[in-house]
Amino acid sequence: MAVESQRVQDFKLEKEPYYLPVGNEIELYEAAYHAGLPVMLKGPTGCGKTRFVEHMSWRLGRTLVTVACHEDLTASDLVGKYTLRGDETVWQDGPLTIAVKAGGIAYLDEVVEARKDTTVVIHPLTDDRKILPLEKKGEIVQAPEGFHLVISYNPGYQSVLKDLKHSTKQRFVAMDFDYPKPELEEEIVRTEAQIDADVASKLVKIAEKVRNLRTHGLEEGVSTRLLVYAGQLIGKGIDPLAACEATICKPITDDLDMQRSIVEIIATQF
Amino acid sequence: MTFGPAVGNVGMYVARELLASVPEEKRPTYLALVSQIADLKYQLGVEVARQLPRLLAEQDTDLVARYLQQVQEVAKVGWKSSVEVAKQLPDLYDAPDPNLARAYVDIITGATSGRDGEDAGSSELQSELDRLEVEIREMEPKIQRAQELKSLLASRDRRDEKRKKHAVELASVLPPVLARLRPRYRPLFLELVQQIADADSEAALDGADTLLDLLNGERLSQDGAREWVARGLQVLDKNAEVGRGYFRLGSKYALDVVEELREGLALRGVARILKLYATALCARDVAIRSTQEMYSLEAFGADHIVLPPDMRYFDDEESNFTAYKVATAHGAGRIEFGTYDFRIDEIDEVVKHLESRYGRSPA
Repeated sequence: MAVESQRVQDFKLEKEPYYLPVGNEIELYEAAYHAGLPVMLKGPTGCGKTRFVEHMSWRLGRTLVTVACHEDLTASDLVGKYTLRGDETVWQDGPLTIAVKAGGIAYLDEVVEARKDTTVVIHPLTDDRKILPLEKKGEIVQAPEGFHLVISYNPGYQSVLKDLKHSTKQRFVAMDFDYPKPELEEEIVRTEAQIDADVASKLVKIAEKVRNLRTHGLEEGVSTRLLVYAGQLIGKGIDPLAACEATICKPITDDLDMQRSIVEIIATQF
Repeated sequence: MTFGPAVGNVGMYVARELLASVPEEKRPTYLALVSQIADLKYQLGVEVARQLPRLLAEQDTDLVARYLQQVQEVAKVGWKSSVEVAKQLPDLYDAPDPNLARAYVDIITGATSGRDGEDAGSSELQSELDRLEVEIREMEPKIQRAQELKSLLASRDRRDEKRKKHAVELASVLPPVLARLRPRYRPLFLELVQQIADADSEAALDGADTLLDLLNGERLSQDGAREWVARGLQVLDKNAEVGRGYFRLGSKYALDVVEELREGLALRGVARILKLYATALCARDVAIRSTQEMYSLEAFGADHIVLPPDMRYFDDEESNFTAYKVATAHGAGRIEFGTYDFRIDEIDEVVKHLESRYGRSPA
C-alpha cells in the first residue's frame, strides 16, 4: 500500500499547466465532473486534449492517472494482476484501479487502440454504479466521490475496425477539440515556446496553409504541439527555415513532393 | 557352357569339350594352329577350332597343313566364304576323288574374287569418284558465296522497294507537316529531315512528326534539335530498327536525350509540388495546366493555373523553379480572391461594392 500511495502522490500536479481556453470547454468539463458524467475528448493529434485534462486535473485538485493505450493493452493491465514478489504472490493494482481508489481522474488516451476487453472494464465506471470489478481478486471497488473517467481518441485516423462501439460512445459526454483559432494559437505558441509575437504569428500562418493540404495527401495537419516545438527551436537560435523543416515539414509526411511544397510555404514566411 | 584356355591375342576361347577331343600331346599344336587362323578372322578361328580335332585325329599332318592352307587361300579373297569353306572342306577330304576338294576351293575363290577386269574397272571408277569429290569440296565455298550474293541482292532489292515506298509517303506527308510547323523552324526542320531521309526514309517519316512536336512545343531549342537528330543518326547507323524507334520517340534513350537537351525546368517535373503549393495557399483544390493543354476548354476553369511547359527564364533550375512558384502564387491569389469568378451581369454590383469600399466613383 505504501508503494501505491507513493505513486498516487506522484500523479498530483503541483504547478498549473498552461492552457488557453478556446471555447466553453472548461465550463462544460466542470459541469460533467460535478454531475459524475464521464467525458470523451475527440480531436486531432497535438491539438491540446491531454493538456486540457492536465489543466482540469489541477483546476479540480484531483490526481491524474494517464494511460497511453496501445494495441497490447489488456483489461488486466488496467485493473491489476497478481505478481510474484520474493516467495509470495501479491496483488498489484493497475493504473485504473489506482485512480479509482484515489478518487482521481483516470485518463485513457487513444482508448480505441486498447484491446476490446478493456471496454468491459470501463463500462461499470461510466454509469451510476461507479464500480470497478476486480475479477481475479474477487473484489469490487466502489469509486469514491471525485473519481472521473476521461477517454480520448482521434477520429481522423482511426480505422473502421478500431472505432469505438456505440454502446461505449453513448456513455460519455463528448467534447470536440480542433486546432485553435489563429489568434489563440498564436498566443499559445508564443507563451509555450517563449518567442515573440511576430514569429508565433508566422508559424501559425504556415500551419494554416499546410492544414489546407489535409485532403490532398496529408493525413493530419500541423499540430499546435509541432508549432510550439518549432518556436522552441527558433528560440534556441536555430534558423527558422531549418527549425520549421525539422518540426513542421518532416514529421508529418514522407512524400517528397509534399515536403517540398511545405518548405515553399514555410519560405513564404521566413 | 564351359570354356577352355584363351587362344591367340583376340581373346577367343576354345570350348573345353573340343580341347578334350584332341589327343593330349597334340593340344599345343591345336591351340597354336587355331590361334594362327584366329589372327586372320575371329569367326574363321572359331570354325577351324571346331573342325581341326577331326583332322588331327587322322594323324595326317599333310592333310592338316593342306586344310589350313586352303582355308587361308579363300580367306584372302573373302573371310565369309572361308568360314563356309572351313566348315565344308573336311567332308570333301573324305571323298574318293582327292581333286574334289581342290576344285571346290578354286570355285569358291573365283566366285568370291570375281574376274580380273572387273577390279580394274572399279578402281578407275573409284579414282574418278575421288577426283570429283575433291572438285566438289573445292566448289563448296564458291556455291556458298553465290548464295550469299543472291540473298544480299534480294535484300537490297526489297530495301530499295521499301525506301521508294517510304519516300512516296514522305512526299505526301511533308507539306502538311510544314504547314503546321511555325515558320521560324521550317529551315532547320527541312535540314534535319533531309539528314534523316538520306540515312533512312522510313526513319525520316517518324522523325518529321517528332521534330514537329519538339520544335512547335518548344521542348527543344534549335541547337537541341540538331543534337537530338545527330544522336539518332548514330543509333540508326548501328541498328536501323532501333534507330527508327528513336526517331518516333519510342525508346527510352530517345526520351532521355530529349530530357538531357531540354533547356530550363520542365513543368511536368514540378507540377505536383506547385499544385500542392497553390492548394495550400488558397485553400482550394487547384489544378496546374500547361499552355500546351490550352486547346482543352476545361483548362480555363476557375481553379486552374496555366503555366508554360518549360521555364527557361534563368540558367539554373532553382531560379526557374522560383519563377514557376511566383507564377503559381499569382494564379493562386487570383483563385483565392475570385478574379475568375467575375460575371458580366454582376458588374453593377461589383462597381457599387468598390465604391462603397474605396469611397470614390469610377472616372
